Amino acid sequence: MRPILLQGHERSLTQIKFNAEGDLLFSASKDSVINVWYTHNGERLGTYEDHNGAVWTIDVDSQSRFLVSGSADNTMRLWSVQTGKCLYSWEFPTAVKRVAFSDDDEQVVCITEQRMGHQGAIRVFKINREGDESEEPISFFNPIGSKAVVCAFSYVPNLIITGHESGKVALFDYKTGEEVLNNERAHMDVVTDLQLSPDRTYFITSSKDKTARIHDTRTLMVIKTFSTETPLNSAALAIGKPYVLLGGGQDAMSVTTTSLRQGKFETRFWHKIFEEEVGRVKGHFGPVNTIAVSPKGDCYASGGEDGFVRVHHFDESYFRAKPYGDIEVEQ
Amino acid sequence: MAGAAPKILWADDVDEDELPQPKGEDYIDENGIRTIVEYTVNDDGKKVKVTKKIKRTLQKAVVNHTVAERQTWAKFGQEKGNKPGPDRATTTVGENVSLKLSAGNKSSEPDASAEQTVKSNLVKAGAGKVVCRLCKGDHFTAKCPYKDTLTGLDGAETPPLGGEETGAPAEPAAGAPAPSIGGKYVPPSMRGVRGPGESMSRPGGSRDDLPTLRVTNISEDTQENDLRDLFSTFGRVARVYVGRDRETGAGKGFAFVSFESKGDAQRAMEKLHGRGYDNLILNVQWSQPREQR
Repeated sequence: MRPILLQGHERSLTQIKFNAEGDLLFSASKDSVINVWYTHNGERLGTYEDHNGAVWTIDVDSQSRFLVSGSADNTMRLWSVQTGKCLYSWEFPTAVKRVAFSDDDEQVVCITEQRMGHQGAIRVFKINREGDESEEPISFFNPIGSKAVVCAFSYVPNLIITGHESGKVALFDYKTGEEVLNNERAHMDVVTDLQLSPDRTYFITSSKDKTARIHDTRTLMVIKTFSTETPLNSAALAIGKPYVLLGGGQDAMSVTTTSLRQGKFETRFWHKIFEEEVGRVKGHFGPVNTIAVSPKGDCYASGGEDGFVRVHHFDESYFRAKPYGDIEVEQ
Repeated sequence: MAGAAPKILWADDVDEDELPQPKGEDYIDENGIRTIVEYTVNDDGKKVKVTKKIKRTLQKAVVNHTVAERQTWAKFGQEKGNKPGPDRATTTVGENVSLKLSAGNKSSEPDASAEQTVKSNLVKAGAGKVVCRLCKGDHFTAKCPYKDTLTGLDGAETPPLGGEETGAPAEPAAGAPAPSIGGKYVPPSMRGVRGPGESMSRPGGSRDDLPTLRVTNISEDTQENDLRDLFSTFGRVARVYVGRDRETGAGKGFAFVSFESKGDAQRAMEKLHGRGYDNLILNVQWSQPREQR
């Protein structure tokens, strides 16, 4: 397959996200700019340019009307996807590391950093879709213990799944601010990414401890583990096919022996059920920081430390491949 | 001969310009391919036949209504005012990458080929086959898949030994004594003839001559003296080396113990292999490169 290279950022990518139909791809970068691209041909639709610091995180609602972003300039902003205008900006004492929409688009959760006397905090805001946003969160709590790094809404109302710096994965009830369930030993090192399945019943996390794991949302039980030789920055679930995509750095042994002619940093494909590696896609010139799969399952994109986003449309051989024989996995 | 009809030379008779041109064609065959055939004269004055085959396919895709709408949005931000269609400054097509999906595929071919070329270059240079020090596979020691584990407790698995090179582009296999007359010059230090006059060594044998055991799975705080004491019951210990971390000085879990006699080393190995020491079970085996000959 021929990847489409999107060169809209001057610094490394922090997060990329597809919208619900998969025809738009949003990319956030440390250069404080958010770009939106058409997926089918890589054409850039526009940019969102009001942040004053690295944009760490973005999320788009299910109707592709609103975009929410969190940045190192201590603000979270709400944008209109179509016009690029910033509709509202929330100020915080510290940088915003992760934002996520709930599946009914009514709420947004955000994680703020722990710095200089301010504890790491999780806040949930109600989004007023008419445009008049409220300044105050409907919930604000500080998780005790290791600070939260990634989060998402569970399919159960009121619960938020969080990943922490210590490798812990937990469920918080945001109405009470209490930790409902946790798995302290989910990972041995900081959780770098958390992505949900389409029905939110399970999610995959990647970690610097060189593994990615799939957890059940309700019980936080670890269902599958994928062990690699490099710290992972991102993990994503393929749609329609039983694969997971992992991205990270390069194992230490191969750093000096690989040439820089062609990007050697890879996105790895692992079989979701058999926990074995089934393929790799090279191309990035720096560690892969973020991976996203289109909800239609026909393409995926990866954003790297090198500032490039590579969009890959799968070809026939990907859909026909049956590496483990004729086992049909119900999707 | 005056008055005779002028002779017509056959060569002049045929006037090329007057030959009827073959007619061009334009037809559509059953596959819907339209073929246009034309005859023209090109720049060299030569007659050429130009055939064009055109196939038109109409692809219908059903897309979500909202998706189709989004395709018509005006560009904004840095793209404001730009023409529809991808802009070369931001969007390019990359080189083809292949995704070969197969069970348990560890690495794709280009990786292997980089290593293969290095190895094959070595072989061509006459450096002998590449053999891993740990498991004798045909890869560099640094790339050994078993580099974290021992190579078998009694060193019993001995894959076929190739040349003894272990990955350094070392001297060609001219270590054998007496290279052929007219062959490459071998410096004395590499000749492999270790007579009494040929090499400078300590009395009692140089380091390479001593029967040496490799002891693994020792604890971090095991010192040279501890091992010396442990092994001295079997005979005189010439040398002990404990592998250490360069920065911290902590033991790396292995050590080399050299005896003065091979019999002592043999007995020590038999007695101490599998024995507990400081809460760990020791592995004792012959240390690799020499003893395997």
